[in-house]
Amino acid sequence: MPDAVRCDGLTRTFGEVEAVRDVSFTVGTGELFGLLGPNGAGKTTTLHMLTTVLEPSSGTASVLGFDVKRDGAGVRSVMGMVFQEPALDDRLTAHENLAMHAVLYAIPRHATRERIARALSWASLENEARRPVRTFSGGMKRRLELARALMHEPKVLFLDEPTVGLDPQARRHLWESIRALRGEGLTVFMTTHYLEEAEDCDHVAIMDHGQVIALGSPTELKGRLEGETERSLEEVFLELTGRELRDEAATPRARLLAFGRRGGEHTR
Amino acid sequence: MSAQASASAPTRVGAAPRSPLDPRVAASFWRRELLRYWRDRSQIFGGFSRTVLWLIILGFGLGAALREIEGYSYAQYILPGVVTLNVLFASLQSAIAIVWDREVGLLREVVVSPAPMFSVALGKVLGGATVAMAQGTIPLLFAPIIGVQLSVTKVLLAWCVMLSMGVLLTSFGVIIAARMRTFEGFGSISNGIIQPLYFLSGAIFPIRGIIGGVGFLAIPDALRLQLQKYGIYSIGSGWVVQLPIWLRVLVYANPVSYELDLLRDVLLGFRQLIMAADLGVALGLPLIATAVAARAMRRMYKR
Repeated sequence: MPDAVRCDGLTRTFGEVEAVRDVSFTVGTGELFGLLGPNGAGKTTTLHMLTTVLEPSSGTASVLGFDVKRDGAGVRSVMGMVFQEPALDDRLTAHENLAMHAVLYAIPRHATRERIARALSWASLENEARRPVRTFSGGMKRRLELARALMHEPKVLFLDEPTVGLDPQARRHLWESIRALRGEGLTVFMTTHYLEEAEDCDHVAIMDHGQVIALGSPTELKGRLEGETERSLEEVFLELTGRELRDEAATPRARLLAFGRRGGEHTR
Repeated sequence: MSAQASASAPTRVGAAPRSPLDPRVAASFWRRELLRYWRDRSQIFGGFSRTVLWLIILGFGLGAALREIEGYSYAQYILPGVVTLNVLFASLQSAIAIVWDREVGLLREVVVSPAPMFSVALGKVLGGATVAMAQGTIPLLFAPIIGVQLSVTKVLLAWCVMLSMGVLLTSFGVIIAARMRTFEGFGSISNGIIQPLYFLSGAIFPIRGIIGGVGFLAIPDALRLQLQKYGIYSIGSGWVVQLPIWLRVLVYANPVSYELDLLRDVLLGFRQLIMAADLGVALGLPLIATAVAARAMRRMYKR
């Protein structure tokens, strides 16, 4: 059985900037793995390389034995992904969005109807199925996206900051869902900067300035720093990454989102 | 679980590659464009308001001063131009939506899915072109008001030209949008792409031809006879126009000019350019543009 995720010396440069440098780790099948780090640490870039969105500048990575560079199609066929911002078509209904997904993953026509129904009930959105997604709350969209990512029965699920912008109820519901999925043997790989969420992971990697600076189970990491006995993962995190504020310039994506929130014309 | 994964596990190779042409994917992205268009009534409203402004207000307004162009009223002359303007807007609007779609929309879903991007691009371009045909049909509804007789054949041929124009312009828009990092307003697209293509296509002025007289040159017969007594002969109320050379070069360089010329031939039976050139552009260029657009969409993420 190949490892769920394996990367070795993974590096990505954007022009002069080394966003990710020499990152290596392994995620076993069925694990919940958390990639932690402050903003701009390189978490999303790493995730994008693992999910074939970006090509690595050097190093190798594989998902369930499929090489991300040579066999991107193989990687894509066994994984599911939920992006940080919703990747839905706002003007289409929940049902139509799921139907597009079925087409993208070549789910046979005869099975599509049943899979969509199952996804809608999983997301508790049966009654909102015919409503355009633009009328949904953040929590409803996230539920829909998670249900969609599971529709083609992936073996590895990638989640990029899955709980950002959710209220406590939605966050709790999401965690319960993730726990239930793990019970079924799914490998979950997530990025987060909420430390209390990372406590639940089997293993975490802490990234900063494009490099992995700590790797292990939450208990191991807490024990690694000498001193007081009861330390939260948050204290460990701040100890490792420093306390200065991380300011980032707004990316084109952030600017686009801000424009959309202001009611930008001709976009959605 | 180890920090240094050194072993090189044998890499699996599998998952039969899907053919770049997946009709189901292309069809669902085509349908998506139509659904989005149908649910955005502001676009349909824009099609009507542009038609009223250009065809009726400008057509009759400028038509009052400029009597005719080669025997056609000014409103009749610009009818194919207004169709083209609607096609331009619809195509570019549909294409530019991929900037949003790529960063925070459904297109991100496509990138992490095993679906072939070529088919997605094909569906996108054909969908954009179909919406453009619908928008381009709006000015044809006004044809009776300006005295243009339409027939089934004329409308079918006009749709063929609109399809060609829509595919060309949506692809062109996709090629531009694939390079845009961010998008904060349609104004720059409108001023920077749509209007130059429109004004330099011979849509609102002829490349050359006999123009019917401007108001003050339409001399009453009594005055004409009186002037003749003094040996002054007016040459009717028309003159031959020829665009300045630099402007002519720009019009000839604009592919939209040829598509529009073909459309004007179909709708009015009036052509200013060589038929072979018109057909060459209308049949060949959209295919090339689609191929380039599909390639641009495939490479969009791997920057």
